[in-house]
Amino acid sequence: MNRFTRINTIWRKELTDTLRDRRTLIAMVLVPMVLYPAMILGSLQGFELQISRLKQEEYRVVVAGPEVAGWLRDVIDKDPTRRPGAAGLPAEELVEREQQGQLPAEKPKAKGLRDRSATEAAREDVRRQPPPYSIAVVANAGHVREMVTQGQANVGLLLDGTPPAPAGSGCTQVTLLMDQTDIRSQIAATGLESILQRAADAMLTQRLKRAELDPAFVRPIEFREETTATPEKVGGSILGQIVPLILVMMTITGAVYPAIDLTAGERERGTLETLMVAPVPTVDLIAGKFVVVALIGMLSATLNLLSIGGTIYLGGLGDLLTRGKEVVIPLAALPWVLVLLIPLAVMFSALLLAVCSFARSFKEAQNYVMPVMVAAMIPAIVGVLPGTRLEGPLLIVPVTNIVILTRDLFMGKFDVVAILWVTLSTTLYAGAAVAVAARLFGQEAVLFADSGSVKTLFQRRFFKPADTPSIAQAALLLAVIFSLMFFAQQQLLHVPGVVGTLWFWVGIAAIMLVLFVGVPLGAAGYMRVRIGTTFALARPPGMALLAALCFGLSTWVLAQAWLVFQEGWLPLPRAMEQAFEQMTRQLGDTSPLVMLLFLGLVPAACEEFFFRGYALSGLRNGVGKTGAVLIAALAFGLYHHSVHRLISTSALGLLFGLLVVRYGSLWPAFLAHLMHNALSGLSIREDGLKPLLTALGFNPAADGGPPLPWIIGAGVLLAIGLLLCFFAPRREIALESPAGFRQHGELAEPGAAQR
Amino acid sequence: MIAIDGLTKVFPNPDGTEKVAVDHISFTVQPGEIYGLLGPNGAGKTTSLRMISGLLRPTAGRVLIGGQDVTERPDLVKRQIGYLTANTGLYARLTPAEVLEYFATLYDLPREVARARIRQLSDWLGMGEYLKLRCGALSTGQKQRVNIARALIADPRILVLDEPTLGLDVLSNRLILDFIRTQAAAGKAVLLSTHALDEIDMLCRRMGLIHNGRLIAEGELDVLKQQTGRQRLSEVFLQLVGASDSVFGPVTAR
Repeated sequence: MNRFTRINTIWRKELTDTLRDRRTLIAMVLVPMVLYPAMILGSLQGFELQISRLKQEEYRVVVAGPEVAGWLRDVIDKDPTRRPGAAGLPAEELVEREQQGQLPAEKPKAKGLRDRSATEAAREDVRRQPPPYSIAVVANAGHVREMVTQGQANVGLLLDGTPPAPAGSGCTQVTLLMDQTDIRSQIAATGLESILQRAADAMLTQRLKRAELDPAFVRPIEFREETTATPEKVGGSILGQIVPLILVMMTITGAVYPAIDLTAGERERGTLETLMVAPVPTVDLIAGKFVVVALIGMLSATLNLLSIGGTIYLGGLGDLLTRGKEVVIPLAALPWVLVLLIPLAVMFSALLLAVCSFARSFKEAQNYVMPVMVAAMIPAIVGVLPGTRLEGPLLIVPVTNIVILTRDLFMGKFDVVAILWVTLSTTLYAGAAVAVAARLFGQEAVLFADSGSVKTLFQRRFFKPADTPSIAQAALLLAVIFSLMFFAQQQLLHVPGVVGTLWFWVGIAAIMLVLFVGVPLGAAGYMRVRIGTTFALARPPGMALLAALCFGLSTWVLAQAWLVFQEGWLPLPRAMEQAFEQMTRQLGDTSPLVMLLFLGLVPAACEEFFFRGYALSGLRNGVGKTGAVLIAALAFGLYHHSVHRLISTSALGLLFGLLVVRYGSLWPAFLAHLMHNALSGLSIREDGLKPLLTALGFNPAADGGPPLPWIIGAGVLLAIGLLLCFFAPRREIALESPAGFRQHGELAEPGAAQR
Repeated sequence: MIAIDGLTKVFPNPDGTEKVAVDHISFTVQPGEIYGLLGPNGAGKTTSLRMISGLLRPTAGRVLIGGQDVTERPDLVKRQIGYLTANTGLYARLTPAEVLEYFATLYDLPREVARARIRQLSDWLGMGEYLKLRCGALSTGQKQRVNIARALIADPRILVLDEPTLGLDVLSNRLILDFIRTQAAAGKAVLLSTHALDEIDMLCRRMGLIHNGRLIAEGELDVLKQQTGRQRLSEVFLQLVGASDSVFGPVTAR
């Protein structure tokens, strides 16, 4: 049976099994369909109810002396909202109606344009329609303060001087005493302040009239706000804040139970032992389970989304959420959001499976899963923080990048490059997680409780010495170094005064040495993997160097020709070109040797060491020679963090990988890589090869690229190199055993031995 | 059919020491034979059977199944083995029919062959009435029958049975023992691990006695009885175990 039908059988069975599980159904259907709507409706309506009740209550104002009380009573009773016929109309409308344009009232045309919190919106309502007040009178200011402090009155009012009047020309200071921590006190103060403000406006109007001044005299500027956002965009912005979080939470909630049940649960029930005696590789088992967990996660998120959407729509809660703004749901974004669910679900399922694979019982798995869920929420919350943009390092931060991308899609922003980055990086992380899960899943120590401690999976002395790293180790390192590299380079670009100097290149070289040489060496040392075989340091046959020479002499010409061709359909953005020029200019001024060191020797050595050394030898243990060369080449292309260089660098990676696999040595790949870098760099230098090349009819600075005879020549050389690789006598690396855990810590995996 | 040579398994303890679970055991099982593996709890029987079935990787020694090394071609070897233990679980939310179909697919049986085989096993084991019920609702005896059917689904040439009658009532017990006998008569090599002495007495001509990971006695049951001078197997057992605890070195009977 081929692998595909097998995985197909496994996932279909697991899905049946999972869907018959009451717990899955509860987590997936009951919770979203019943609990969340109830929760949302309940809390929102409760909030509304409470606010409207608070608005109806009578509030107590305390003042010092009957004179102030009388004045205040008068002011309150004269407020437009208290007059007969006001009947719940908002204050500004009443004021406007009354004044009929005498004073350009501060029309809050901007109402609701900017985002406000729910409490702020409630406060606005109180300003427009203040609650009823009763007035208590005490002897002096001290008593007023006391009553407010003790909560006997909601708000206190103190006058500095005589009560203000339209007739005078002075200014009276009014102090409102309130308890900031008491919502009633806040509402009372807010309402009272709005009444006083309107009274002050009325007095101002009268005073101006008396002085025969135009109202505009005291209000030289009037503000209006208008939004350029379409209703779709407003809707998108609101949804963009809520939906991604819901998706993240619900994908995890939905996936958790199947993830635990299909790994730790199966182990606990004893069915795993039954399954493992069947002639099925562990990787296929975990792949089948992974498909189901991801499916359930997606299904759960979709159901939740529908349910919440339905609740809001049918429950008439749209207004509550949008606070009266004009909003249209951007339906066009929805399919894309559902598509983004796939990487999200893929990643969480892989992560959860990896964590659960490690647990021996349901309970143990639950303990492991909790921190993962919390940890996943942190990047998700970072993603919905206002103002975060999908650029720079955030492009590859797991979860955060998907959350921001979802928000952007809702807002109508559609950036193909960003989508590519998010998808690629997520796929990489998910792949690593699946590899780790498969590795852990089949471990004897976790498979049979009596087979030693789980500690044996992590402690060095329990690792079995091996010739090459395992595919899980290689995948993990590829994912980790991919993100570290990106962050380190971004960090370096943002250090002031470094870009454009030699120090930048020193920094890049240091990063490469640490990440591409230091980290793999450290990992190999810790995992007890033999350095010589892992990094293929064997001495190459002479034929290999000849093939490398052919590649090294030809690729730089072909790469330039390719870039010229690519410019036609994938033009290099001007800004990128400039940035690159700026970065390389410094090297142009230094000696050619310095350039050879930083652009030639260091990258060639470091990159070959990691990609064709550690990564290639590890990948060979899982996907075979061809697969390993392909994946290592693609990873190599991706690590250059540029769509424009992806094809050319991946192609180079293929050639270098071919050399290593055919001749069992890293050195020819290093030689070819070094020659490619050196020739590419020297060809554009006046003190390098440029004069010579120009004399030979090839002007590297010209836009047209290499002349045809050069391309043909290089093509022939390349073909010779390929022929040498494919037909010359080969030497393979003798692979004895893939890395992993010491023999007694390892499960015999079907098919592992043939590789 | 089954040839085991110097099979050894060492588990690491968390404190860094090592525990030798199985210590250089060797024996063979021929087609048509029921070989009994006897031993007290924790003697290393289960670990040995797991290595033989390719679930655990031996620390040293070899397991040859039909001439094929288990660690070299686990996929080929697993196909030939029907493995059954007292605690191999069934999927509680699937029906016996679904479980059997699932395993038939995993063993590459074509659909028609699988159907016929399930029908046949269901007749033999009398599973007809509960073939469509959820496994979770079955009794222990019924579950064990389903498990036997599961182990036999691909018609393996070798049966590895780890205490297959544990926790069963007399009736189910008898059915399963009869079944084992029928299978051996049909030419299968059966490796039966148990600590039920009467089962060995009833079924096996040859047996091995494992104690503390080592095979302390191995050979024909009659010869072992003669050598120890005891008629009852329980006495043979006690004497051998006692001897190995006091005097080191295995008693061999060939």
